[in-house]
Amino acid sequence: MKLLALHLTNVRKFTGKRASITGISDGITVVCEANEFGKSTFFDSIHALFFEKFSSSAKSVKSLQPYAGGAVEVAADVETDQGIFRVEKRFLSRKSARISRLPNGTTVAQDDEAERWIADLLGSASEGPTGLLWVRQGLIGLEPDGVREKTQLKETRRDLLSSVAGEIDAMTGGRRMDRVMRRVADSLAEITTRTGRKSGDWKAASDECEALETELAEVTRQVETLETALNARKQAEGALRRLDNPDARARREEALSAAKAAMEAARAHAGTVTAARQERDLAALKAKSAQSDLDAFLKAVDTLQVAEKQAAEHAAGAEEARREAERLKTALEAAQTGHKGAAEAVAAARKQLEQTRRQIAARKAKDEAVRLGEQIDKAETALAERDAAAAIVKASAATPKWLRRVEETAAEVSGYRAAAEARATTLRMTYEGAVRITLDGTAVPADQPLPLDGKSRLELPGIGRMTLHAHGPDSDDKARLTRAEEAYAGLLAQAGAASLSQARAAASARAEAAARVDLAQAVLDTLTPDGIDALRTARADANLAASDAHDEGLPAVADLETRLTRAEEAESTALQALKKAEAQHASARESAVRLQAAAETAQLALERARADAGASEIRDTRRAERLRNQAHAQEILAKTETALQTLIAAAPDLDTAAAELKRAEDAVATVREERAQVREKLVGLSAEIGTLAGHGIEERRDELEGQLEALRATEARFARKAAALTRLQSALDAERDAARETYFGPVQEELKPLLSILHRDAALSFDSESLLPSGLKRDEAKETLDDLSGGTQEQIAILTRLAFARLLARQGRQLPIILDDALVYSDDDRIIKMFTALTRVAQDQQIIVFSCRQLAFQDLGGARPTVEIEAV
Amino acid sequence: MRNAQVIPANRVQWKSQSVFKFIHSSDLHLGKPFGRFPEDVRVRLRQARAETLPRLASLAREHGAGHILLAGDTFDQTTPAPAVIRQALNRMREAEDVTWVVMPGNHDHANATELWRQVARDAPPNVVLLLQPEPFALNAETTLLPAPPTERHPGRDLTEWFDSAETADRLRIGLAHGSVTEFDNSEDGGSSVIAPDRARRAGLAYLGLGDWHGQLQIGPETWYSGAPEADGFKHSETPAALLVELPGKTAPARVTSLPTGVISWRRVMLELSDDPADRNDCTAAHEALLPSLPERASTLFDLVVSGRAKPLDRVALENAIAGAAPDFLWHRADLSALGLVHDTTDLDAIDRQGALRAAAEALAREAEDESLPPETRETAQAALSHLFSLALEA
Repeated sequence: MKLLALHLTNVRKFTGKRASITGISDGITVVCEANEFGKSTFFDSIHALFFEKFSSSAKSVKSLQPYAGGAVEVAADVETDQGIFRVEKRFLSRKSARISRLPNGTTVAQDDEAERWIADLLGSASEGPTGLLWVRQGLIGLEPDGVREKTQLKETRRDLLSSVAGEIDAMTGGRRMDRVMRRVADSLAEITTRTGRKSGDWKAASDECEALETELAEVTRQVETLETALNARKQAEGALRRLDNPDARARREEALSAAKAAMEAARAHAGTVTAARQERDLAALKAKSAQSDLDAFLKAVDTLQVAEKQAAEHAAGAEEARREAERLKTALEAAQTGHKGAAEAVAAARKQLEQTRRQIAARKAKDEAVRLGEQIDKAETALAERDAAAAIVKASAATPKWLRRVEETAAEVSGYRAAAEARATTLRMTYEGAVRITLDGTAVPADQPLPLDGKSRLELPGIGRMTLHAHGPDSDDKARLTRAEEAYAGLLAQAGAASLSQARAAASARAEAAARVDLAQAVLDTLTPDGIDALRTARADANLAASDAHDEGLPAVADLETRLTRAEEAESTALQALKKAEAQHASARESAVRLQAAAETAQLALERARADAGASEIRDTRRAERLRNQAHAQEILAKTETALQTLIAAAPDLDTAAAELKRAEDAVATVREERAQVREKLVGLSAEIGTLAGHGIEERRDELEGQLEALRATEARFARKAAALTRLQSALDAERDAARETYFGPVQEELKPLLSILHRDAALSFDSESLLPSGLKRDEAKETLDDLSGGTQEQIAILTRLAFARLLARQGRQLPIILDDALVYSDDDRIIKMFTALTRVAQDQQIIVFSCRQLAFQDLGGARPTVEIEAV
Repeated sequence: MRNAQVIPANRVQWKSQSVFKFIHSSDLHLGKPFGRFPEDVRVRLRQARAETLPRLASLAREHGAGHILLAGDTFDQTTPAPAVIRQALNRMREAEDVTWVVMPGNHDHANATELWRQVARDAPPNVVLLLQPEPFALNAETTLLPAPPTERHPGRDLTEWFDSAETADRLRIGLAHGSVTEFDNSEDGGSSVIAPDRARRAGLAYLGLGDWHGQLQIGPETWYSGAPEADGFKHSETPAALLVELPGKTAPARVTSLPTGVISWRRVMLELSDDPADRNDCTAAHEALLPSLPERASTLFDLVVSGRAKPLDRVALENAIAGAAPDFLWHRADLSALGLVHDTTDLDAIDRQGALRAAAEALAREAEDESLPPETRETAQAALSHLFSLALEA
């Protein structure tokens, strides 16, 4: 279908008027008019003509009615394969639709038949493919906002692509595929999470399995506890039976009675033995006492004899020692006298030597004091010289720097002055006679240049008066010279100089004083490295040390030293002799004391032995008596010992009897205690068994094992199902993706050359759901459509429509592309490129462009139709 | 030797008969929890086992038998819940005209002291407990030789003492629990081992055995009674007890099987073939295996499907199984061993072309790729099965 002309009657601003566009070409037709012309009115009217029923009162239809009201009439002349027709509809009042063949106006169809004729023409009962192609004013997106329109367009795209790329449902599985995939996803979601973890019934089975395993472990532990308790009870009951055996009990009691009897007999015999042992021990004590008495007597007699001899020997030894001590005391006193004389001689020699040495030192100190006095005088002289010179330096401002500045200023003054002089007008008179001329009252000297400055009046005697106007130095020169001279005078005044030569003399004097300061300081540093006060202190010390010096003659130190050495040797010899004598005397005195003590001890022992042995006349009687007593006691001891041994030999072993009794008693006690323990254990075990068995835990364990078995099988089924569904989902995803690649191919093919006009090497990606571009890839970067500028978005929207239009054309369904101010965001450069794209498509495609951008669209080319507005 | 003085005289009616009759049963496993089943099924199963006692008593009365000999495993555990013990004894007490002779098995062996202590404490007069291997006089002419297991796995023939047991001139009946040495017929392996010719060697008129839950004759006078109520899918026979009639020492025992079970355990194998010549209708084959509708409410049905089936057949079978499952007390269907076989036509059911078809073909290739690990192939096959189901739904 191609549009040839449009006619609007009583539509919006064309109230009571008929607006027509004629001369629409097969390629591009541009209706470029200013705002408010009514371009959108044409667009909306065409839309209503083709997509709204003549009977419609939809908002879009009512919006066409002018404020004045009345019926709205829209008509279009179209060319189809069957010829040229006029399609016209009257909305809102006396509604009608009519198709008539041109040019003769023969009615082809009316009203509902006309609507069907239009639907057949467009190829769809709904908005159809043209919705893909017509772009409203300011639309930058690919789809309208309305859900219904979106759905319609999506279906249209699907239909279109199906016919181009083959059956779309066949390719991608279509709605059936959707349903299968949804069912797979739903089935999978029932048992797994999105990340593939267990959920739903599978998770519940798994959790229950885990809970049962925990409970089973606990119940199994209880069963094991029960079995252990049952075994323990069985063993305890066996043990109790053994303990309660009557024969064993009788044997234990009989053994206990026998042990008790044996123990009593053994204890009685042991009492007899104890008495015999006491009697024997008493006899032994008596025998021992008698023997001791005898031994003591015999020993006393022997001791007396020895004491008598020792007393005599010790007395003689003590006397001899006393005499020796007396002799050695005398020798000691002689040695002490000798040593004292030698020590006095040493002291005298040492004293004389020390006195001589002190005198020598005093005399040296005296000489040192003199030398230090001279040094101090020199230093004080140098100090005075330094201070005087330093005062000069300090008082003088004639530093070398100052002198350099003076010399520089003097040169500057000279320069300025010379320049001034050079520029000055001078008067030189050479007189031939005595007559002198005067200048301003002063005689002008002969043959001397006299500078003139300004107005000067010369008196020429006899001649008259001459006034000269001379141009002296200019004011700047004078000022510079004055400033230089003032500076020069100022500098000279700083050092009290009147001239450059005085300045140089002052600077020289200052430099000389500075040199003297340095020299005096060097002398001071040499003479008094530690300061002059240190030198003065040293001289005071030397004077003090020299206070005892005198001028008398002195003995030779060497002689005095020799004399002292000899005295010391003699003193040493005397000292050794003294020490030897002292040692000998001490030893002798100690020996004498010791021997005197021994003699006195021996005398005491003698007296004690005499007392023990008794007087010599009764000594034999006493010996005989003690011998008899000793023999009698020995006899009694032998008798009691024999009796004791006899009893011991006949005694039973008390320890053995006690051990046997203890063993018998322990056996009875052990059995009693063990029995009590076993009975107590049995009570505990029975209670435990009763508790555990009362809960039917074995049954519960078996039940849990069965439940676990079933649950594990269920879990395994879920796992297999999840694996199968996951595999199925991945297979479906993979195949759908592959099919979509095939599906979008034709669109991509149509779009590629158009897109390259605007963006070289760019490619669009498509959304599998909306079947529309979803992103742009250029320079290896991917951008979603929302990220693109408004201009780029509207360009892609238009290019996509152009691509769809070409697909339609390939099917033999030629439909016009209508753009109503569709390029409002694009810059001029892009608009030109879009024109190129439009022109490319317009080679076999009708395109109608409404635009208010008259200037920008000047270069688009295309046909410019006639727009006529006439009153009706 | 213990004698039957505990049995009230008014109940030993067999004295007047020339034939000694008794009911032989075993392996009641009272208190078995059946934990792998849902709670409601567990309750039914436990209830059914508890009610075997009055059923056995009814059979004894019906056939004039004065004794019911329980050859072990009356209880499932060594320490059953007190209620299980008490209610079992109460049911025995209720059948006061019958003497219950209870011998331990390997599950409730003689060393289960707590169990038997409670039984001994609470047992009514018509219950005889045989915990020791010693002769017991059932009446003046008949002696019972019990071989009660002392442990869960005694590992020896506890009936050896039968050969030398002194019973004078009385009729000798043996009662034991365990497997026969000629084949491993123990329910849980390794219990006592019994010589198959013990009856002959020990001169027994009858040897009643327990442990094997299916009814089985070992020799002319040696029988496993089987459990009166099934507890698994292992045995296909209808659970039953044995009526034993002993005409005398020289005459052979007459043994009659008396059905007792009320819950049916059915494990059914359905093998499908993908051979066109041998292909059967899956749903029809499944339908043919199902028990009658009235039976299903008391049937545990465990269907194991194997072989290979076409996808649509599998979907149909799954639908048929899902349709039948609610009829049963319990139902399980295992199709993990059922392989898929498909051709282009089958895949057309998913889609003739496009992504769905491509996904189906990719999964089919993966399922048949023998270079892949078995788990991967199984997963792919399961995924393909899901795809078939979902595509058909869609």
